[in-house]
Amino acid sequence: MTMTSDHDPLPAVTRGFDRMLTQLAEASPAAKLSYQGRVLDAARRLLKLPGGVAELEARAGALDDAGIFAGTDWAVPSGLVPGMVGNTLRAADSRTVALECLSLLRFLAVARGEHAPPGLPREHAHHFLTQVLALNLDSILGTHGEAARALAHDLTPAVDGLLKRLLEGVGTGGILTRLVDEVWRILRQRPLQVDHVKSMILQIAIAMEREGGGIGVRDARTGADRLISALFGPSELCREDPGLEVYRARLAASDPGALQAEATGMARAMHDTGLVSDYHAAFLRFILDSGQTHLLPDALGLSSTGLDALRCYQPLVQRLIDVAVHPGTAQAVLGVSLMLERGIMYSPPIAPSLWRLLETSLTPTCEAALNTAFGTAVSPHQRLVGGMLCLLGQPLGVGQGNNPTCQSARALSIWALNDPDYLFWLLAQVTANDRVIMYFEGAALDSSLLPAGLAQNTPLDADPVSVLLVPHLDRIYAEMGRRVADRPEDPHRWINPELHGWWVGREFHIAVDIATGMLKDYAQFIRDFHLAYHPLHNGNEPVVHPQPAGIAVTDSNGVFVGWHAITIVRVALDQGGDMRVYFFNPNNDSGQDWGQGIVVSTHGNGERLGEGSLPFAQFASRLYIFHDDGLRTPLAVPVDDAKLAQVRDMALQSWARDRIAT
Amino acid sequence: MTSKDPNKGYVAILGWSLRCIDALEKFDRRYLIVAPKWAEDYAKQHDIPFLSWDFERLNDRSFELATTLKDMGVDVAIPLFEETVEWAGAVNAVLLDNPRLLGQSMLFRDKSLMKRRAQLGGIRVGIFEEAMDHSDVIRFLKRVNQTLLKLDGDPNDPIHFKAFDKAGCLGHRVIRSPDDVAAIADEEFPALLESHLDGWEFAVEAWIKDRKIQFLNISEYVTLGYSVFVPATPELEKYREAITKQIERLIEVFDIDFGFIHPEYFVTNDDTMYFGEVAYRPPGFNAFELMERAYGFNAYQALVLAFDPKATQEELDAFFPTPVKDAMGHAGCFGVYPRRRVVSELSVPEETENDPYFEFHELAPPMETKVTKRTAFGTHWGLVYFFGEDPHRLRDLLKAQEELDFYV
Repeated sequence: MTMTSDHDPLPAVTRGFDRMLTQLAEASPAAKLSYQGRVLDAARRLLKLPGGVAELEARAGALDDAGIFAGTDWAVPSGLVPGMVGNTLRAADSRTVALECLSLLRFLAVARGEHAPPGLPREHAHHFLTQVLALNLDSILGTHGEAARALAHDLTPAVDGLLKRLLEGVGTGGILTRLVDEVWRILRQRPLQVDHVKSMILQIAIAMEREGGGIGVRDARTGADRLISALFGPSELCREDPGLEVYRARLAASDPGALQAEATGMARAMHDTGLVSDYHAAFLRFILDSGQTHLLPDALGLSSTGLDALRCYQPLVQRLIDVAVHPGTAQAVLGVSLMLERGIMYSPPIAPSLWRLLETSLTPTCEAALNTAFGTAVSPHQRLVGGMLCLLGQPLGVGQGNNPTCQSARALSIWALNDPDYLFWLLAQVTANDRVIMYFEGAALDSSLLPAGLAQNTPLDADPVSVLLVPHLDRIYAEMGRRVADRPEDPHRWINPELHGWWVGREFHIAVDIATGMLKDYAQFIRDFHLAYHPLHNGNEPVVHPQPAGIAVTDSNGVFVGWHAITIVRVALDQGGDMRVYFFNPNNDSGQDWGQGIVVSTHGNGERLGEGSLPFAQFASRLYIFHDDGLRTPLAVPVDDAKLAQVRDMALQSWARDRIAT
Repeated sequence: MTSKDPNKGYVAILGWSLRCIDALEKFDRRYLIVAPKWAEDYAKQHDIPFLSWDFERLNDRSFELATTLKDMGVDVAIPLFEETVEWAGAVNAVLLDNPRLLGQSMLFRDKSLMKRRAQLGGIRVGIFEEAMDHSDVIRFLKRVNQTLLKLDGDPNDPIHFKAFDKAGCLGHRVIRSPDDVAAIADEEFPALLESHLDGWEFAVEAWIKDRKIQFLNISEYVTLGYSVFVPATPELEKYREAITKQIERLIEVFDIDFGFIHPEYFVTNDDTMYFGEVAYRPPGFNAFELMERAYGFNAYQALVLAFDPKATQEELDAFFPTPVKDAMGHAGCFGVYPRRRVVSELSVPEETENDPYFEFHELAPPMETKVTKRTAFGTHWGLVYFFGEDPHRLRDLLKAQEELDFYV
């Protein structure tokens, strides 16, 4: 006897699933592992049945609570990256696919407010799902390419169904508009890593092509067109995306006027979006190969500052372009352009450092790391030069990827901004010897002799410089932590100046008592912060060097999420006359809602590329660590108590709620 | 975690098993896991009471382990795997001040000694002999078939070749011809040789306390090395009384005061019962889980009760259900071996997965595409679990799995 076809198997399979779910829920923490496999297998069967997704959806929170994610990479949802979901859903192992599906349903439950695991705010879940949907529009719209079809497995229809369900859950209304807005919002922060943005744009392009006037296409049209054309047709001669071969032929047949128009068109699209088209890379190579370097300033979109830097270092810049700019590494064009604009090449060690980098050969370990992370389309050395140019051009564009290495990412950003020749020196140590030596309170720390730090593996979802340097920095950071572990105060008091450089202020202020986690002299802490950083209180002294600082991150309800490392870059008046703190957040996306109306702005309030900003008081209310240079000004203006009370109230009603010492 | 009762026994578990740990976390006995170093990190991470011990090395440190446990106040040691049975014997000899336990455990560990002891005790066993090398095997094969009055050229009756000290089907070969003998590697010797018995093979799980059977389960093999289910069909259960007598005999002959045994028997056409072998540890093929599914009691907790010198008869009586009668159904599992020489993926057959008796499987995707040829009864690639009302349907279903491909 087998199941008859008119009999619905769903209730029986659901009953079996519930039995195994109960087993998992009742298992002790150590034994969860041994019950997860069968639950995932049962989930896989449910997924395949009509109505099965709904059954799983109803149990998403219970599954999370039962421990289905315990001990896996999915255990900490806030650390998951939307860009990796698509790949996992196409994985060959059906249990991995099932686990990812359950994880997505968990996000849906959180987005709906039905489930509230720690560290995953509702907005974050919603945001995450929007990005997942954007990156997988092909599955939702059924526009699988050949490649996707080849990878299809027996869960593929179920996965497509699940994504549609998520779309319903998140809301279909104007999804494209929101996706386009989302892409713009991310791009305005000028991240170094734009691959996932590019694939989102590709999905949007396909969706618009297919849907005509469907899911919110009309509203999205203008914004999307600019994004799509920046990638696939930024100028007159490639408007219809003819392919690189055709484009090169057209360039060869063009008159000077047409080439001039190409140069300005390319540059305009690049600076508008932060995206560089492969056509742009092809164009640069064409003008170098055909000796028309007079078009270079326009093709890079340089101002008089950049132009002057180019003129001073033209042979070097051309070599850099020749090595680093290829179709596939086109973003390096933006890196070159912005690096020239920053004027850092006038600093004596920079040009020689770049020459050294151009001539350097990488150790086999470095080559292998870069090849693993980026593939072998261009050589590891070319990849690294391009990566370094991008980092120097966009110091605030570096992100930690899905790695617990915010300290290292922040350090790279600070050096790129403030101390680029030191960054070159660190990189040279790694490319030559696979190690970094730093000194901590006089003792040499050799990264090649130290155990792994926070990141257990080499981060692969990061930029080329991070891929090489972060494993070393992470170890050194961890070792510094070990060396001060027995001191009764926050380790960053000693680590921050030693890790980053002499210019990190040696006066250390912290809002909480390390032993108890309770607030300590908090009013004084806020007062000190004003006197150190607020130009209207500190004698109008600007932030001289970017300073590491620590913030208490809160979710949109003002609930404490965790401690996080950021950089205070500037404090200045915005266009509206409000004093704002401009800062860098290494977590890939600065735009966050911290509750109580505190929404980090990334655009429109005087931010430079990659900066996030908040009004001074709002920023102060989330701050818990800062450094100060200790210089006192006779012009200090006392902070009035009402101002202090305002900041303190915001803190006490959010992250510090349970930290009031009694 | 269930709170621990300091007036009840404190047990040391020799061997690492997550299921066992789970059972103990939910039980009122204090416990300590004694297992190899590789498990230490995991144990620490989950706050599991843990003592790192290397069971690979020879017995000369058993006294050290025993005194360590004694100093900690441990009452008794419980072996989970074949390799830890003699360690438990040695340790318990000290903890319970009973030197006989070490010798007893050696009997359980050596299949040849075990058979002789059974034979001396008047238990019926097949013909057996020890083999030191290949020539012993050839001679045994010849002698057995001579006895059966076979002529040269007649197909031989098979003989069985078993490693002395391996659990279950590991190192178990069926020998039919001198060619089979040649395929045996030198390092598999010494070994035990047995005549083949045509009959119905089954296993018993018995929890013993104060020389009394506390609970007796009969596990029916559908095909040896492939599938088993509990409780057995009525046709096998009708022997329960006879089987119980056999087990009581075993308790006498092996002088078993307490603990858990897992013997295997044959019953031949004329209802004669032959003893195969006995192990002093939980059975393979996850039979404990099958019992939990069928009866709802945790077999690991039962194990602890049977070993704990402080457990009372009332406690045991309350713990165990009535065999067969209290079963909620029949639970069985099937061990999957890939049937093809080259496999690329795991693909559970539709007819298996859609069967209402199917519960779940613990099959992993293939790590290698090429399947090594099975020489002995090897290790399966994972188990498929079934549960249902009708033992005959379950038996036929398990049998049918043998003809299906789980890896393609």
